Amino acid sequence: MSENASKLNLGALDRQVAYSGEGISVRSLEDNIAAERESQNGKVEELKVLRERNVEIQSALAEEVGKLRKFGDYMDGTAVAGGFWAGFKEIISYVPGFRNIAISRRSIEELLKQQYQISARRVKEAAEYVDTLKRSEQDLYKEIDRINQKILEMARNEAAAVDFVLELKALVDAIEAEKQAVEAGGIEFRDLDAKQDRARALLAQHSANLQLYGAAEERYVSLKENTRKLVETIRNLGQDISQYTTAASIKLDMASAQIQAIGTAADASVVMLELKRSLDVMTESMNATTQFVSDTQVFFRRNLDTLITELETFDETTTKMLDANLAESRQIEDERIAAAIEKARRHKQTAGVPSA
Amino acid sequence: MSELVALHTQAVRGPLVTPYLTALGRALVAGRTSKAFPDRRPLEATLAALAPELHQGLYDEVYVDARSGLPNLASFTRVLADREVGIESLTRLESQGELDARRGEAEIFERMARKRRYFEALRGLELAPVDRHRVLLRRHEPEQSRASFKVELTKLLADGCYVRVVIDLWQRSSVWAQSLVRLDDGGEVAEGTEALQGTVYRFANFDAETLFVRLHEIDGVTVERVQRGQIGPVLWAIPGEGVLHRVAEPGSGALARAWSTCLPDLATGPPQFVVMFASDTAANDVREEASNDPLSPLLGDQLSSHERARYGILRARHPFKVYKDRKFVVTAAVRPVVEGLCAAAGTKNLIYPLA
Repeated sequence: MSENASKLNLGALDRQVAYSGEGISVRSLEDNIAAERESQNGKVEELKVLRERNVEIQSALAEEVGKLRKFGDYMDGTAVAGGFWAGFKEIISYVPGFRNIAISRRSIEELLKQQYQISARRVKEAAEYVDTLKRSEQDLYKEIDRINQKILEMARNEAAAVDFVLELKALVDAIEAEKQAVEAGGIEFRDLDAKQDRARALLAQHSANLQLYGAAEERYVSLKENTRKLVETIRNLGQDISQYTTAASIKLDMASAQIQAIGTAADASVVMLELKRSLDVMTESMNATTQFVSDTQVFFRRNLDTLITELETFDETTTKMLDANLAESRQIEDERIAAAIEKARRHKQTAGVPSA
Repeated sequence: MSELVALHTQAVRGPLVTPYLTALGRALVAGRTSKAFPDRRPLEATLAALAPELHQGLYDEVYVDARSGLPNLASFTRVLADREVGIESLTRLESQGELDARRGEAEIFERMARKRRYFEALRGLELAPVDRHRVLLRRHEPEQSRASFKVELTKLLADGCYVRVVIDLWQRSSVWAQSLVRLDDGGEVAEGTEALQGTVYRFANFDAETLFVRLHEIDGVTVERVQRGQIGPVLWAIPGEGVLHRVAEPGSGALARAWSTCLPDLATGPPQFVVMFASDTAANDVREEASNDPLSPLLGDQLSSHERARYGILRARHPFKVYKDRKFVVTAAVRPVVEGLCAAAGTKNLIYPLA
């Protein structure tokens, strides 16, 4: 090797760049993102199921509140065209298993206790969702931590790729300058040319890495933002449910003795007004629970569908970007190869060697 | 830790819960209840389910009826609803091992691990019902067009006591169109009509003889026996942190007055309990009409002379006799109170010790 060539710093040609994590490619990036998104999709699916379950609970609660309100109205005597007992027969018919029976044979105390138990169960069913949502929230926080690690990793790799690409670019330029100073076509020239090819090959490879790591970083950032939105949705929902069910549960706990007392009194055809008052207490607790379900519905309608749409859009956009990058890279490579072949042909023609 | 929080509702909290529930559970065993009383084991299961040891600290308190001293409707309902909801939740929750492994991650996983254990334990329990009707066919005599039934009702009364009413009756088929009990086509499975259930349910609050008379006067129905077994009321006092926590509304009867008098002596020392098991039978095969219940004399003895005459006419139409009894399960310090009550009433009652 000539004295001039020895001035070049060719270390970059043999250096292994220390990217952290596994090597990256368009396919591996797709696979990694798909894996990260899997848990997020799972949470979205959970929320979909929750939404459906909420519809069921809302219907059941609405029906029960309707019954309790009927009790209240008839106790007032305001909603009964055919008199108190005629109206009472109607409201009893709302209770499962009590259709078509004579009210005079029924125990109001028993009916009220049955209704109390149904109401308590409904409140507990609703409260169960609080824990489900909190668990999902924690899982998603963990997911955000994981994505953050990925973002950092991609950012570090991107920085490493940038440094290396610049170094390689400088080397390619330096070799080019060296080539200008030696005899064209000579041995030294060929040697420099070979080194420049290696440098260019590395440059192409690490330029692609630079693009991929950059795209990956952006993609993970978007994924994190969506996950964060999902967490906020779940947290708000959980807090709302918690408030409503706690209030409803406390009211039911406090109303149990009143329910029994007015049931007994009603059975003895005594103090019907007390029945009305106690029913109001019970209705209030049910109202609180119904309200949360209603709010939940609105919350879901407003947020969940948008989130799902955003996730799909985001995914589609990123895929397109990566596909475009890949296509562009391939085109550049093809052009290079074509140029190299053309050059090789010209060289052979000049040397008088028939081409193959 | 034991304050009144709503109508007849006392919240028993913190360190009081376990000694309260443990003593009640032991008293149920010590009371040696017969089939005339509500089933003991489901009630024991309910008491166990209300304890922090089973619910893993998920609840802070037990709601107790301030008159009967027993867990109230809210408490009975709590464990029943938890069991129903829990069985469903168990199909969705992660395994116990998975939840335990995540306990350190966040409070919610620690809570869910506890809850899963609670639900799993509840799943294996038969809990005390708030109310339960049952009708059993005892004998079917198609050639005589009649059948004999045993009608049972277990009920948490509005006064907070827990009662079982058992009725043995015959019914003739000529009036089955308006019957109290229906048989299936095979003549093997009986079902009480809503009219029967409603009547028994309402009259469960009253003496056995009242229900006997009410049912016996229905055409085609012959009552042989009405038996009523009641758990409660319970008088309880548990010293703690310089305060004597105790049943808040024990009433004004003879025993409650004597109990209140001895309370200052109970302010220190171990928890004290008086748990009552009252039985009341109106039946054709009772040999001698009597009450061995120091707190509930015979109905005839409570009436004025004028009312007693009318009552006599009513009773003459029915062949049954009444026997009332009451047994007690008591801790040592309050045993003299109960003994004094029985002596004053001239009754000889079983008084079992509660260790």
